[in-house]
Amino acid sequence: MNLKNITADKLVALYRNRDLTITEVIKTVYDQIERVDKDVRAFLSICPERALDEARRLDGQIAAGEPMEPLSGVPVAIKDNISVRDLPTTCASRVLEGYIPPYTATAVERLRAAGAIIVGKTNCDEFAMGSTTENSGYYITRNPHNLDRVPGGSSGGSAASVASGTSLIAFGSDTGGSVRTPAAFCGVVGLKPTYGRVSRYGLVAFGSSLDQIGPLSKSVRETAQALQIIAGFDHFDSTSADSAVDDYVKGLDKPIKGTRIGIPKEYFVGGLDAEVKAKVEAGMRVYESLGCELQEISLPHTEYAVATYYLIATAEASSNLARYDGVRYGRRPGSPSSIQEMYCRTRAAGFGNEVKRRIILGTYALSAGYYDAYYLKALKVRTLMLRDFQKAFDRVDVILVPTSPTVAFKIGEKTGDPLAMYLSDIFTITQSLAGVPAISIPCGKNSENMPIGLQLVANHFQESLLLSVAHHFEKAGGFTV
Amino acid sequence: MKISEQDVEYVAKLAMLEVGDEEKKALAEQLSRIVEYVEKLNQLDLSGIEPTPQVITSVKHAVRDDRVAPRTGSSDAGRTVKLFKVPRVITER
Repeated sequence: MNLKNITADKLVALYRNRDLTITEVIKTVYDQIERVDKDVRAFLSICPERALDEARRLDGQIAAGEPMEPLSGVPVAIKDNISVRDLPTTCASRVLEGYIPPYTATAVERLRAAGAIIVGKTNCDEFAMGSTTENSGYYITRNPHNLDRVPGGSSGGSAASVASGTSLIAFGSDTGGSVRTPAAFCGVVGLKPTYGRVSRYGLVAFGSSLDQIGPLSKSVRETAQALQIIAGFDHFDSTSADSAVDDYVKGLDKPIKGTRIGIPKEYFVGGLDAEVKAKVEAGMRVYESLGCELQEISLPHTEYAVATYYLIATAEASSNLARYDGVRYGRRPGSPSSIQEMYCRTRAAGFGNEVKRRIILGTYALSAGYYDAYYLKALKVRTLMLRDFQKAFDRVDVILVPTSPTVAFKIGEKTGDPLAMYLSDIFTITQSLAGVPAISIPCGKNSENMPIGLQLVANHFQESLLLSVAHHFEKAGGFTV
Repeated sequence: MKISEQDVEYVAKLAMLEVGDEEKKALAEQLSRIVEYVEKLNQLDLSGIEPTPQVITSVKHAVRDDRVAPRTGSSDAGRTVKLFKVPRVITER
């Protein structure tokens, strides 16, 4: 039994037929973690006792003939910036070392109510700030396809876990591409839902107007199943949307013939790797063969995305991270002489370089004299980007672009140059700024055998359409294009 | 615009961060490059454009009815623990 070769729906069917017990599968998961995770290091913490207790309890229910939940006994992993009661939640930061939340995020609560079993918490860039998981305050995670490469980030541990068969579904969070980039780099499916579609209650805040929890898995069907469970209004999150949740699983097989797919010319320019371009273009041909209509469109403000994002996200982060001051959370340095000293020393010792860099940039962008020149300006450019998408969605149903300009790069390749690192996010940022849903699906590998991601984007709350368009690609064999 | 080491020191202070001399130098260089890059936004004519602080406006909002509901997964938080020990945060001048 290798979890790399099975999906959640098939696993649940095996349980239902009594071909497998949940307990034996959960034991297999921990054997697999023992085998592969010493190299991959997808997990920051694991919880075998709790998971096995849960497994035995669910096995008992099945034996007693009680009805099963949609994800009964499915092993899942949760990014370490999402709160799970009684499990460490560090956001991969030293400042939260030892913090154990007294409550569980709504999305996780719903996943557990659907029968899923949490096997552990996954590594990420500290407070989700990064594109490679190299900014973890604990250790780096490696790409299961090539251990010398990054898994992408910031949800790198979640993507690496799914890709290395140590979970079937993993939660990540996406602020500017943090679910989609690791999905592309690790060859799995990753969805960033519409802003507000999934409750952020219990997700540790980074950029509050951008953050969304999203699932990673090996198939579009599992993604649809997971979204089905976690989507919807939550009165604990005042930004969660109170709009109807479609039947995403049922919608998967809806015909897509005649679907209009937009190809924005701004994404196919210099900087895009030739092999990535070739595979994404091969993906377009798959859609043509499925009867979709491809049209060139324009998203003219794409080139301003990185600048806009790194002002808005850092400004929001500088405010959100003010709470780590040594009073309420994690560690604090011994016997400071003043309150000021306690704040400063806690933060100096607890935050890593990238987090400090972003806090300083964000504080600068919000500071007196610069607010209008930087932060407010960025919010206005965001309006232009939103209009770009609105105009595009008047003409097309879905937009198709690469997820990342390159495949996973080598560990250490970009850590010395923050701006180069930021620019690698170019293809995932506009969707976050506009709040539209986007999914990264595998579309083959390059000559070095590294996975390539194809990204589909839809209008607000059009996840059902997005997932069905992605599902047809998978069914047509597009994952191996 | 160039960010000087003094700028870094000033902003770090606002953000309650301690930065060492080496760190200050590196940050000034890195932030200068980043700020010069983000200034490409100045190429755009933004007159008459409203800012977008939040994308989805259809949420029914912030002030909800004041009624008691169970908290997810934490029904006994605050029941088992009544008091929290925190460091002294109010000091005399």
